[in-house]
Amino acid sequence: MPSAKAKKSKKNQSYIWLSILSLILFFFIWWLFTEGSLGTIKENVLPGPIRVFKTLIMKFSNKNPDGATMQVHLWASLKITLIGYLFGCLVGIPLGIFMGWYEKADMFINPIFDFIRPIPGIAWTPLFILLFGIGMMPKVIVIALATFGPALVNTYTGIRQTKEVHIWVGQTFGASKFEILYKIAIPSAIPFVLTGMRVGLGVAWSTIIGAEMLAATAGLGYLINLCRGIYRPDIIIAAMICVGIIGAILGYALTLLERQLMKGGRW
Amino acid sequence: MTLRKAKLWQKVTAGVISFAVLIFIWHIASLDSTFRQVMPGPFTVLGKFFSSFAEGIGKHVMIYHILITLSRWAVGFVAATVLGITLGLTMGWYPKFESFMRPLFELIRPIPTLAWIPLVILWCGIGEMAKYTLVFIGAFMSIVQNAYHGAKSVDRTIVDAARMLGCNDRQMFFTIVIPASVPAISAGLQIGVASAWSSVVAAELVRSSSGVGWIVVTGQQSNNMTQILVGILVIAVIGLLLALLIRKVEDILCRWNKRGR
Repeated sequence: MPSAKAKKSKKNQSYIWLSILSLILFFFIWWLFTEGSLGTIKENVLPGPIRVFKTLIMKFSNKNPDGATMQVHLWASLKITLIGYLFGCLVGIPLGIFMGWYEKADMFINPIFDFIRPIPGIAWTPLFILLFGIGMMPKVIVIALATFGPALVNTYTGIRQTKEVHIWVGQTFGASKFEILYKIAIPSAIPFVLTGMRVGLGVAWSTIIGAEMLAATAGLGYLINLCRGIYRPDIIIAAMICVGIIGAILGYALTLLERQLMKGGRW
Repeated sequence: MTLRKAKLWQKVTAGVISFAVLIFIWHIASLDSTFRQVMPGPFTVLGKFFSSFAEGIGKHVMIYHILITLSRWAVGFVAATVLGITLGLTMGWYPKFESFMRPLFELIRPIPTLAWIPLVILWCGIGEMAKYTLVFIGAFMSIVQNAYHGAKSVDRTIVDAARMLGCNDRQMFFTIVIPASVPAISAGLQIGVASAWSSVVAAELVRSSSGVGWIVVTGQQSNNMTQILVGILVIAVIGLLLALLIRKVEDILCRWNKRGR
């Protein structure tokens, strides 16, 4: 229904002033109670929007008070996340395919997996810190574990949802079992795999922030937690903004990849 | 029916076997003394788990830790459910309200819950309020998101039919929009349960003096691997139970939807 859609977007257009108003109102109230004339909230509880913005810009060149600039922290978090994420996907997706395809294997692995899945990735952190120290290693493992779950579950569902008709067609044309998996089941599961990868990336990015609060010497989570101790909420909020922006960019990058891979349309 | 039963038995047996094999391998490995130094055997962990109900970890027994964590979870989750569903549905149904709230919501949504921990501690102190707030934030986002999509994707034909039969705005919202969004809402609640559970554990890991997250983190500080594993075991079991509970609630609430399908 293209006409209905056009109508709808037109309707939304007419309310756009409300959206702008709400954003302006939000920042104005924030400003009013902190830096404005009603400035009753102390700066070490909630700094004003201008102060936060200044800090955010400054932090990219200023090393105080934690001894590193924002981009150093950003890179530290991002590096660990991406390495751990890659490992999580590399294990989770093939295992998901394997479990989805071989019912016997599924029966044996699934119970263990069901038991491990409700454990949040962050809860593993102390265990791996004790095993491997506070270097990069434990965090990479924690991120990999956090990514692994969503990647596996979604791939598994995708393989399971392969249309039986497609399999029958393959069998009629004399495809071997491996060919059916490789040429029918896996391609038709790709949308699910990508969903799993997107969810996994979100979880991984959230987990690294938590893991860095527990043990790290650099990274956004470390910066946020350190600034709690020294009462610098302006840096905390500035770092949270960075976390949000990077998270949004990562999500967007995967959406682009999805569009690229699924050019053939939905199937 | 018998076939189904046989299948179920097969599944249960396979599950039991795989757990038994896992525990056996772990047990064999822990017979080695160097391995045991880093990682205690499965029976040590299980023994500690059961004895912690009587002896206690820190000042309190296990049941106290579990209950206090669950209470934090429950307060935050219930608040998030009530407010989240209300906000999500009104946002999805009333375009004016949507244009007003959506930008604010989108501004905050990309920030992971765990990143809020220090700021919330700074605002609410290190007491219970900080944990409630964090659980609330964790569950709130996904609940709002799903309720919003639920209200947005109400079947147009039903809405038009109701309007034709002379249904007023209030009736429309309470008798059409809310029931039609229940499946989407319960999907949001399921995600919300999991993220609330991980928020409460994370909050306890970062700063607390009791609870299951505290058990894990003090295990790390005192170099006590058994305690860490007991904590993780408890976290897994409760997380599983909570997920099952919510799934049961969904089954009851969405019975009509399943029958229709």
